[in-house]
Amino acid sequence: MKTDLTDKALHSEFRQKVEALSGQNLSDCYQCGKCSGGCPVEPFVEVSPTRLIRMVQLGMEEEALNSDSVWHCAGCGTCNGRCPMGIDIVRVKDALRKLTKKIHYKRGSLEAWTFYEAFLDCVRNFGRLTEIGLMGGYNINSGWLMTNVKKAPWYLMRNKLGVSPHTIKRVDRLQRVFKRIEEIEGQ
Amino acid sequence: MKFAYYPGCSSEGSGAEYARASEAVLEALGVELEEIDDWVCCGATPAHATSHLLSIALPAISCASAEKQSLDILTCCACCHSRLKQVNQEVRDDPALRAKISEIIEEDYRGSLNILHVTEVLAREVGLEAIKARVRTPLKGLKVACYYGCLMSRMPEALMSDKSEYPMLLDNLMDAVGAEPLDWPYKTECCGAALTLTQTKTVIRLSADVLQMAKQNGADMLVVACPLCQANLDIYQAEAEKLKGERLSIPVVYFVQLMGLAMDLDPKRLCLDRLIVDPMPILAQKGFVHGAVYL
Repeated sequence: MKTDLTDKALHSEFRQKVEALSGQNLSDCYQCGKCSGGCPVEPFVEVSPTRLIRMVQLGMEEEALNSDSVWHCAGCGTCNGRCPMGIDIVRVKDALRKLTKKIHYKRGSLEAWTFYEAFLDCVRNFGRLTEIGLMGGYNINSGWLMTNVKKAPWYLMRNKLGVSPHTIKRVDRLQRVFKRIEEIEGQ
Repeated sequence: MKFAYYPGCSSEGSGAEYARASEAVLEALGVELEEIDDWVCCGATPAHATSHLLSIALPAISCASAEKQSLDILTCCACCHSRLKQVNQEVRDDPALRAKISEIIEEDYRGSLNILHVTEVLAREVGLEAIKARVRTPLKGLKVACYYGCLMSRMPEALMSDKSEYPMLLDNLMDAVGAEPLDWPYKTECCGAALTLTQTKTVIRLSADVLQMAKQNGADMLVVACPLCQANLDIYQAEAEKLKGERLSIPVVYFVQLMGLAMDLDPKRLCLDRLIVDPMPILAQKGFVHGAVYL
């Protein structure tokens, strides 16, 4: 992919947003490629972590947010562990995920956000997560009704599903915490 | 020895066997646990992928509660451990963040505690010698591939001062109970983690690689210390077999279950019957369990 290296590209608003959200200085990256060398999902994605960082450096917003590697990242942290400059690449990817929320470029983004929201809704309402609440919420809201349904008999047979929600005592305080954070982050 | 205990959400669902077996082993070795009062979910990936503040506030609520108990925190789940430890450190190092978080969670939180993973407590606080002395049936001849996954070995802030590319904590524990830990290359490969529901294919591909490598190295079982690794490696074995075109069928066992077995603890508390790939045939073949019939 060819892009012109202009001063404007290097100081894009997109790059500043990513740097602010992740707390990382992306000028530190000199494209050595160690993150991609260790990345377990690199063979399955179009854009390697190294290229993804380069895209952000050059302000290529659409390409970066559209890339499948944002959603195939398992957050394992191999890249973080190996980066010679100590860049927290997982937080850079977290920042990119946050920026996709309103855009939903590709299906991967929609599914992941549905999963995050189903998970956090469960935590917000009960203080703890139950697998049945999570899977139910995810399957209904994502439209993928049959996700992991095949596995349900195994889970039931081995008594692995926590069915009843375990509500914590101070759930009211927890809900105020969620609300306060939403206000601070202006969602 | 006493700790504030953070069980984590999986202890009430898919990973209950891990929590129950850990509690049994810790009790047998004289470690006391006091459950953190009104603990909440650590937020895991969904919190840190969506909101930095939330990913700090959720663990902070539980840690602040433990601070009142004035006990260091012990947790079994590798994900909870990594979140709690990172948050504790971030808050301790940043006074501005400390003030902000304390205000958000309506409670004073200083980040003053140590956050320990159950493997650390067993290998370092209890000590390998004490464990060896408590073993009744050494697991002689059981070849185990110790699998650490990502969260126990990476994330610099959360490290357990073990080698990040070739950790040994689990291997040492397995050696202490008489099993034979293998030298194999996929100790810290990723299983796919929280992509289970959203990118199932990626999880199957990654888990299949780990399972196949364990098989090729002659492992009787995979030994894990993370509920998410266990779930991914255990539940997708049929798909992994299809992908690799070979029979895998490797039990994925929590390390505390094997420790409990070697220490002759009540099998009911070890919940070996809750695993999906049944470990009983191989355990019976090696003579560690007798006459057990499971599903």
